[in-house]
Amino acid sequence: MNREQHTGFLKFITYELKPKGKILTPFNVISIITILAAIVILAIRFTSGLGSVVHASQERPWGLWINFNVITGVAFAGGAFVVTFMVYILGLEKYRPIVRATVLYALLAYIFYAGALLLDLGRPWKVINPIIGNSFGISSVLFLVAWHFILYMGSLFIEFCPTITEWASLKRQRIFFASLTLAVVIFGIALSTLHQSGLGALFLMAKPKIHPLWYSEFIPILFFISSIFAGLSLVIVLETIGQRVFKDNMSFLHKSSHRYIMLSLARICTVSMFVYFFMTVLVFLHGKNYTYINSPWGYWYLVEVLGFVLLPCMFFLYGYRRRNIQIVRIAAALTIIGIILNRLNISTIAFQWYDRSVHFPTWMEIVVSFAVIFVQILVFRWIVRRMPVYAESPSWVTGEKQNKSFTLKDKSFTLNNKRRKKWKVSTK
Amino acid sequence: MEGFNKVDIFDTKGIEYLFVIGYLLFLIIFWNVVNKHERITKQIKKVISTLSASILRIPQGLFYNRYHTWSHLEESGVARVGLDDFLQHITGEVKFTRLKNPGELIDKGDLLTQIDQDGKHLKVFSPISGRILNTNSTLNEVPEIFNEDPYKKGWIYKIKPSDWMKETNSCFMGEEATIWSTEELDRFKDFLTGGPMRKYSSEPSMILLQDGGEIRNNILSELPNEVWIDFQKEFLNFTH
Amino acid sequence: MGINRRNFLKTLGVVGGTLTVGKSFGAPDSIKKSDTEFSGILYDSTLCGGCQSCEIVCADQYGFPYPDDEPVPGVKRELIETRRVVVNCFNTSKGEQYMRKACNHCNNPACASACLTKAMLKTDEGPVIWREDKCMGCRSCMIACPFDVPKFDYNSPNPKIQKCRMCFELLQEGRQPVCVENCPAEALLFGKRRDLIEIAKARIFAEPEKYNHTIYGEHEVGGTGVIYLASVPFEELGFRNDLGTVSYPEFNKTFLYSVPAVLILWPAFLLGLHSASVERKLNKQQKEEES
Repeated sequence: MNREQHTGFLKFITYELKPKGKILTPFNVISIITILAAIVILAIRFTSGLGSVVHASQERPWGLWINFNVITGVAFAGGAFVVTFMVYILGLEKYRPIVRATVLYALLAYIFYAGALLLDLGRPWKVINPIIGNSFGISSVLFLVAWHFILYMGSLFIEFCPTITEWASLKRQRIFFASLTLAVVIFGIALSTLHQSGLGALFLMAKPKIHPLWYSEFIPILFFISSIFAGLSLVIVLETIGQRVFKDNMSFLHKSSHRYIMLSLARICTVSMFVYFFMTVLVFLHGKNYTYINSPWGYWYLVEVLGFVLLPCMFFLYGYRRRNIQIVRIAAALTIIGIILNRLNISTIAFQWYDRSVHFPTWMEIVVSFAVIFVQILVFRWIVRRMPVYAESPSWVTGEKQNKSFTLKDKSFTLNNKRRKKWKVSTK
Repeated sequence: MEGFNKVDIFDTKGIEYLFVIGYLLFLIIFWNVVNKHERITKQIKKVISTLSASILRIPQGLFYNRYHTWSHLEESGVARVGLDDFLQHITGEVKFTRLKNPGELIDKGDLLTQIDQDGKHLKVFSPISGRILNTNSTLNEVPEIFNEDPYKKGWIYKIKPSDWMKETNSCFMGEEATIWSTEELDRFKDFLTGGPMRKYSSEPSMILLQDGGEIRNNILSELPNEVWIDFQKEFLNFTH
Repeated sequence: MGINRRNFLKTLGVVGGTLTVGKSFGAPDSIKKSDTEFSGILYDSTLCGGCQSCEIVCADQYGFPYPDDEPVPGVKRELIETRRVVVNCFNTSKGEQYMRKACNHCNNPACASACLTKAMLKTDEGPVIWREDKCMGCRSCMIACPFDVPKFDYNSPNPKIQKCRMCFELLQEGRQPVCVENCPAEALLFGKRRDLIEIAKARIFAEPEKYNHTIYGEHEVGGTGVIYLASVPFEELGFRNDLGTVSYPEFNKTFLYSVPAVLILWPAFLLGLHSASVERKLNKQQKEEES
């Protein structure tokens, strides 16, 4: 880089770093306060040990950060592998407007939620061990999950690089990264399958500790299928919020295809939840769990499966059939609650279920959990306001892999405009 | 205790296999339920092909009302009313029900007649007020009359009008009627893609319409009751 | 052109699959052929008097505070991060009986399998030890252990996992674990697991009314290094009887074995789907151009 380019680059970065938009919005205030509080809490945690901020328990070693941010949060990042599958493998152009945002959300989710895993490690300075080969615990599922997280973050990052190069006007680099997309997407889908199910496999050895209604050898498969509709439900929520919050950054074609995309996602959700429900029933039959249904735990299980799996499935179906976006949104919200319930049930609520003591997380744990989510949202917003995630690619981008809506014949779009002519009533 | 009692590790397999069979059947049903309206969309798409303005018959000397009825005052001072070629083309073979009897009074805007087809129906409203002198009985005896000749042999009522001049003031006639009919055809295409398509399909209307897309004859006869209801509400009763 | 490429990739996948997976798929478990056999501890509850000597010398050996409470029936004393062995008293059908609890040094331990840094290690000699230089404090071992043995220093900025290590350093010097050395009632016996099982069986055979006819740990969770004899059924002494006889790492087998298979099959399948969709699009475009 010559001097001119150098100073130009610095100016570009400093300009981009300035906040755009109002600074004192309610969301900004709440999130900044939470993040600052979290920093203080984490300082205490690292100096005085985990027990000082976490409701530590020898019986339930994993607290909110692993159970909620990692095991539940990563499920919601499953939208990336589904959407990239549909756009790049199946070639369904209709989802192209949301691909970049979904990949970005997943990238940030893995960085921050898998990052939250670091917070819950007792000796995080040793985390380098399983990575540099000091000791590969290859029999461990967590080893596999950790490695996949790292590799998948890399894949998502490469998938996102074309957007970054467009923002930074790096034309040659863009072509390079765009050429890697297919390979990285395929690798990412294989990785996702394994680590989404791997999160479930983490609990396979805890058989005597998890209530039989929730434990089965099929936990990995159920986790994988649920990550499909968890991710898509989150994409629906993301799109809903994005249409309002980021409408200045959104390309017109994206805004107009919003309804279509939401309804199509609703259909995929309803079918995958239908399948998941039947898988759950199959597992139930396989484990001969009927004896457990008539008990408080049984009722809780029914609430989770009927109220938060079957019900949103039907809502998605109804919303799709009636072309009603509001119902689809409600269904997505219910689904998200259901996924949180399911993951928390397996990892903590129904874990050591015979132990009568109630283990509620401390307020400090909750603050840090939310701080992690807020940081992710803030970074997401920073990127979306500056890079062509929702917006259209800059004009110098050629070729089919542009960030445009599905390819319409432009004729047909203007045609509809033409038809809006006024008809006059003739009077005599 | 192992080794002392009989243990069957596959004892749930029977139920599971039955369950899977049940699931597969359910899946077929479910998939059809999910995609039911896709069928309507596909029908509409196939059908956007051949009704064009050039084949609509619009005799210039008749008064056309926005409800797609025509009225004509004969030399004897008796007016004949009927339905126009546009309605005939899009519905096809219909039965006329709720016909009024001679001697009854009718007001402008009252129900003129109802046309039925396979359980679907459309209400048509009267363009003029007056006393009904005659009802065309051959309409239901020989239904093709309406399709072949909606303006002469296909008349519905002969009416002695009570306020002809004022009520036909807002009707179309002559060249204006032709222009209006063409616009109505466009408006009908818009209705098909904007209304039923939007309700029963998730695809945006943009993709569907090609330049010069024509509509197939008797299109409404191929579409379900929901579309007829929408047509009544949004197209026929639309006041502008 | 596209078809040839797909076939090539598929062949590549199959060849790669057989080379990497073929040998280990359904292959016999690798058994190390060495002279070292597992050592273990035999604990005979009928001889134990609840004197807590094992607790005291263990605390001495590893720098923990002495126990401040005694085993009393009805009170469940647990292993904690400052106590690696604990003795409890139970009211059983044959009166008050004592039962000791510490790491069972399983043959195929769940904790070692769950550990992603190999900090928990099953040594060739038998003891399952925790290695400080490798541990990152993820606590997966605590999730996996069916006996809830490993404990964690939650209140320290440099936390350790605390559990019995069968005085591994002393074993290297030819000594025995301190609890075994110092048990006044000789309720604890150290030796090769194979010999200990024989001894336990001999004891049961010699005095069949005195003992419950089970050696806990002979088959449970695939066999443990610490085996137990008692006069009453083990459920009365705080043991779980639903842990099964399958070693716990087996629960992960199906999942872990299928990982390489997925990494091979998925990409090939996805490439195939991709080519098919590209071809379909091309065909559609061609048709539209023709019409």
